[in-house]
Amino acid sequence: MHDLLEAFRLVAAPDVLVAILASAIYGLVVGSLPGLSATMATALLVPVTFWLSPIAAIATIITASAMAIFSGDIPGCLLRIPGTPASAAYTDEAYAMTRKGQAEMALGAGLWFSAIGGIVGTLSLVLMAPLLAEMALSFSTYEYFWLAFLGLMCATLVARSSPIKAIASMLLGLLISCIGMENPAGTPRFTFGLTDLLGGIEPIPALVGVFAVSEVMRAMVTAEPPKLPKRKFGSILANQWMLTKKYQWPMWRGNIIGIIIGVLPGAGADMAAWVSYAMSKRFSKEPEKFGTGHPEGLVEAGASNNASLASGWVPSLLFGIPGDTITAIAIGVLYMKGLNPGPTLFTERASSMYALYIIFIIANIIMIPLGIMMIRAASVILRAPRAGVMPVIILLCAVGSYATGNNLFAVVLVGLFGMLGFVMEKNGYPVAALVLGIVMGSMVEQSFITSLIKSDGDVMPFFERPVSAVLAALTFSALLWPVGVWIWNRIRHPRLPAGGATG
Amino acid sequence: MQLSDRVTGAVLIALGGAAAIFGARLPAVPGQDVGPAAFPMLIGGGLALCGGLIAFGIGHSFEVPEEGDDPAPPGSLHLGRLRPLIPTALLFFYVLAVERLGFLPTAAVVVLLAAIALGARLRLAIPLAIIAPLCVHLAFYKLLRVPLPAGILPAPW
Repeated sequence: MHDLLEAFRLVAAPDVLVAILASAIYGLVVGSLPGLSATMATALLVPVTFWLSPIAAIATIITASAMAIFSGDIPGCLLRIPGTPASAAYTDEAYAMTRKGQAEMALGAGLWFSAIGGIVGTLSLVLMAPLLAEMALSFSTYEYFWLAFLGLMCATLVARSSPIKAIASMLLGLLISCIGMENPAGTPRFTFGLTDLLGGIEPIPALVGVFAVSEVMRAMVTAEPPKLPKRKFGSILANQWMLTKKYQWPMWRGNIIGIIIGVLPGAGADMAAWVSYAMSKRFSKEPEKFGTGHPEGLVEAGASNNASLASGWVPSLLFGIPGDTITAIAIGVLYMKGLNPGPTLFTERASSMYALYIIFIIANIIMIPLGIMMIRAASVILRAPRAGVMPVIILLCAVGSYATGNNLFAVVLVGLFGMLGFVMEKNGYPVAALVLGIVMGSMVEQSFITSLIKSDGDVMPFFERPVSAVLAALTFSALLWPVGVWIWNRIRHPRLPAGGATG
Repeated sequence: MQLSDRVTGAVLIALGGAAAIFGARLPAVPGQDVGPAAFPMLIGGGLALCGGLIAFGIGHSFEVPEEGDDPAPPGSLHLGRLRPLIPTALLFFYVLAVERLGFLPTAAVVVLLAAIALGARLRLAIPLAIIAPLCVHLAFYKLLRVPLPAGILPAPW
């Protein structure tokens, strides 16, 4: 009880409240601009968090990411261009509703069910994290190795691409994480004689390059999205209660799927939305209406992507294993602020954890009024010319990455990672897997090498301990899943040429 | 920058092979079987294997085809296929010039060139190149205390 009161005191500090409000507006604007994703919004926030108190720093990340995931729905609905990848799954559906004259209902559903999803996801975090923390206290390096490896495998499994390319991206990330002398032996590796590389490659320049610079590069070769016609909106929340009652089951299913996908290390909001939209269509009583402006899929997937956002913090807080690319950034901020992820965080810093839950709830509640304001202002904000926004993004990439270490080498890295991300994306290599490889590389290696040293080079302890055996089984099934799908497709459609993508 | 799977696969084989070979040459820690060489060798080997599979087109059926490139926006610089390199080139210019010229002039050049490359009219690009660096400088130098170099044109604050 004392911890809870302390948490309220922490959140009620003026700097935290200002941080929540400012990052909410920032997240809403950035998320709504096509091409600027929630991950990028969060990555560009990191230099700002340096100068904030720990709770305010976490608050900015939580609030900005939640808002950005919602406001990605706005251009998707009005222009058929998803503002963030997490909205891509149901963009066609939302746009079809706009064309039927139901733009208010589509936007309202995005907002209302995003907020519900966020709150349900937070409750799952509150319930699940302490239970898992008890279990995690008994984990040794063997379990940590499998957890980290499982996270990497999940990241490759859910990528909407060739699983082999996804694994290659992930391995490339791990290889990049080998650079420097931050390995168990402290030997400088792959530094090519450059002192700047001795400290290794930090995840932040890689993230900014891959998610922000490569997006500016894409803007260089694509035509500008169409301008939004000025329009007036009716009541945004008018029909939402009716939708909530009518589509209660899809909503809960979306929440639960979102939570499960969020908890899986490595799989994030965009995947939650794709899976939930597909589930909704599969189990709907009227699947023929999907694609023609039917709100059911919107309800389920809109709730799902925001639910996954909160539950993605479970593996991050407990094990330091990112649930998605946004929490990959958050973990860096947690370490920087002395809130090192791990099960003891829940026993020793309980008030900080409660404060985190409270911030999640606040963010999802203020999402509704601020979201309505954002929808009404969208026709002005979405008129911002791309040629005016992207140059500022480039400048922020340069200054932001420089600010993380006052080192110009970080800016060089941002430029190089931008090119790498652009080329990879163009050729079907998922960049999220690369980033997770970079973020988790040192953890995978540390736990792997330490375990091998402990067991004198014997691999049996990796499978003999009960929890690690279960985790190993999960990892191998994730690894073999694409093979199974491939064989299944061969048996069902023996003569069909390459097509029918599943997975 | 659409490359065939054979090309990207070959690059991965070369990269993975190089990582494994150079990783194997790393000095071992005395008295221990597994040292700094183990992980790069494992990763390099895996990468080379994946590269081989990709080059032979295995797993291609899972891919979602990406939409092709749209034509370049009108009224912009005609650099053809080098256009995507502009952002990286601007960042490298920033790294080389910022110490000598100072933050404000360098940032103004970066913003101006990026805006023009994206097809902005000068009516938009020039005011943006003046205002954006000042705002960024104010936010990062004054509020966040990042030591941005002053160079030839110090900020008024």
